Amino acid sequence: METEPSQNDVETRLLDLAKSQPNGVSNDDVKAHLSDVPLPELTAIINKCLKNGLFDLFKLKNTLFYKYKDPSKKTTTKGADTEERVVYKIIEEAGNKGIWIRDIRFASNLNMTQLNKVLKSLETKKIIKAVKSVSASKKKVYMLFDLEPDSTVTGGAWYQDQDFESEFVDVLSQQCHRFLVEKWEEANQKSGGPLAVRNRSYATASDVHKFISELGISKVALTIKDIESILFTVVLDNNAERIVKTDGSYLYKAVKGFLPAPGLVKTTCGICPVVNRCADTGHINPKDCSYFAEWLNQ
Amino acid sequence: MSSQVRKVLSLILLERFGMVVEKVATHLFQYGSSPLLHIRKYTELPLSKVKESLAILIKYNLVSFKPNRNENIANYTFKPENVLLMLRYPKYMNLIKKKFGDECEMIIEEILQRGYWTASEVILKVQERISKSNNISLVQVRDQFVSLVNSKYLVRLPFSQSEDKPVPELGIDGKELHSVPTIDMAALKRAKSAEHSEFADKNIYWTVNFNRFHQDMRDKIIVTAFTKKFDDNVGELVNFLLNQMYIRTEPWADVSNPIPILEIKELAKKQKNLSQLNAFFDQYVTLIEEDHSNLIRKSGEASGGSFQIFLRQAFTQFAWELVEQCVFEKFDTKAARIFRLVKLKEYIEPDHIQQQAMIPAKEAKRLTYQLLEENYLEIQELRKAATGGGPTKSFMLFHIKLDQVVRMTLELCYKTLFNTMTRRNHEKDINKRIIDKKQRVDTIAMGMRVQGASEEQLSDIEDMITPPEREILEKIEKTMKKFNAAELEIDDTIFLLQMYLNYH
Ligand code: SF4
Repeated sequence: METEPSQNDVETRLLDLAKSQPNGVSNDDVKAHLSDVPLPELTAIINKCLKNGLFDLFKLKNTLFYKYKDPSKKTTTKGADTEERVVYKIIEEAGNKGIWIRDIRFASNLNMTQLNKVLKSLETKKIIKAVKSVSASKKKVYMLFDLEPDSTVTGGAWYQDQDFESEFVDVLSQQCHRFLVEKWEEANQKSGGPLAVRNRSYATASDVHKFISELGISKVALTIKDIESILFTVVLDNNAERIVKTDGSYLYKAVKGFLPAPGLVKTTCGICPVVNRCADTGHINPKDCSYFAEWLNQ
Repeated sequence: MSSQVRKVLSLILLERFGMVVEKVATHLFQYGSSPLLHIRKYTELPLSKVKESLAILIKYNLVSFKPNRNENIANYTFKPENVLLMLRYPKYMNLIKKKFGDECEMIIEEILQRGYWTASEVILKVQERISKSNNISLVQVRDQFVSLVNSKYLVRLPFSQSEDKPVPELGIDGKELHSVPTIDMAALKRAKSAEHSEFADKNIYWTVNFNRFHQDMRDKIIVTAFTKKFDDNVGELVNFLLNQMYIRTEPWADVSNPIPILEIKELAKKQKNLSQLNAFFDQYVTLIEEDHSNLIRKSGEASGGSFQIFLRQAFTQFAWELVEQCVFEKFDTKAARIFRLVKLKEYIEPDHIQQQAMIPAKEAKRLTYQLLEENYLEIQELRKAATGGGPTKSFMLFHIKLDQVVRMTLELCYKTLFNTMTRRNHEKDINKRIIDKKQRVDTIAMGMRVQGASEEQLSDIEDMITPPEREILEKIEKTMKKFNAAELEIDDTIFLLQMYLNYH
């Protein structure tokens, strides 16, 4: 077996060394302990650790020391003032959904100028970052620097530069519905009892995903989860139902409603936008109503 | 009942009974039960007119009376629901025609027109009407009449319980309501030949039992709903279930008592045209049992299993669907989607609406607030103390109160009804001259035909209506038909919503 130590190994050994010396290790210490590692490689690894924030670099009596820093409790706010610590805590709690500046202000009780200063400082230190949220165009939310923003913030596949691609979603929704209807019609054509027909009409999200991918209408790669969200709109439109399988996943099927269009909506007043302002007398009234004239001519 | 209803009632009463009756009824509607002199004072009508109006209203069961604290005076109470039922008369007749045929339809028609009548007189009248075109015996008509009593479409009118009270107290016991009358057929035959004859049942009056009709109409909605959602076979199956339900269940129960499915299977087997249903009977049963709607559920395994129909729940679902469709038609698909999402989640934050309904933030907001403004949605505010003693955070949650939306939609129905009737009358008014002319011409032509005028003379008379006038008349006729159809359809919606409210 080749005993060439792998990069990871070296890194672990280096970190272990640093951890054992809470006051920091010097370059010489490192070289002594890891003499089996070629120098260029060692340098590369030290640099990597520095970059990842695992090491703090400091100078003591003209010697460089590396000090281990625990990333899990990234209380880099050491040295920072209490205000920064408070704000940091608030932002940390918000997780990857982020938090709005106003909410930070309320929670921290800092005034706006103070808060702005603190945020700026944390931002330059790359401890936090500001992310634009899709839910409101001018709203920024703050979260810890290395968190991946939640899809509720970025909007996921449906957003292009914070614009919701409504038409794209509509087309997908229609196509998903079409797929389910076709599946259901197909099932009906084959012989067999009603249960067989019903069971054949069910589709999984990955069936639909496959169909949509093959259609090639999407520029971006959609995940199964994306398709589930679209299918949910079909369910909400009363065009499909979804049932839960025993393993927790969903099955979808095209359905029809119980009722035909109600009589009320076949009349003009039932769908009239100004019905609340319509009265026997006055400007809007049934005798002069032009919607009625149109309806009568239909 | 609202002012919207009052306006519709006025129109209906005006159309059918004229201004005086309308005035009396409207007074009672506004002031509640009142004695005779009170009505006279406020309506400023002559006493005889008020009496006459009350008599008419009582005859059609639109007003009831009860002794006042002073036993010599009666208090009159208006029954607005019954006025609205008058719009439904064509539906009642149609229903009976489909179920029992033309003779029964005529019996119902005659009784509806008069409010109530004796069996003997109805039978005579209907036999006379039919025998103009067909041969039918009095016995045949009587049998039809009896079948209507047996199936409870006709019931006996309550009658005065004691002779000596100044204000009669009407009453009837349960048995008398449906007990088949003895009809003296010999007397009927005599009446046919002689001018006048006294009937043994001269004080026994029969009237239409609307409740029984509504039961049929309710069942029809359920069967049609299942047919639409699934297919004809499922519709048939549900129809059988409903029919069998009555054996063990009181008709307006919220949930039927268990119905053994084997019974249905046997019944279905006897029908030849149901081969598909019979071939896959058990599968169809499983199909409705497993359906999401959960309206028909298995209640026991004994003897092949028995099933219960959840009627109340059915109308909750129908009401939901109905208002959803109203939102869809009045706004658009996106609004309907939002509405259904709120229904599904019960309480939902504005941010989640936009995400889950997949509608752009701005549009979602606009539609949500539009729905809010029109009272389809409502807001509930939740206050939650923020962590760490900060200011309280408040959440806005959207929510739907179905009861309220149903009532609002019902109001909209009444308004629509009123507007439609107003417009119909208006269209008639603007064409009054020409409609009157047509009527005059028709009367003259009929008179001449009776006198044996020649074809040529008749066509001369008919030519008094010029071709352009004829065109207008045709258009008016089409318009009126459209209005009538619309009124009946609005009433369908009213009926469904009322069913929901009845069950809640
Ligand atoms: S009469 Fe015309 S304006 Fe009035 S509610 Fe009906 S459609 Fe609307």
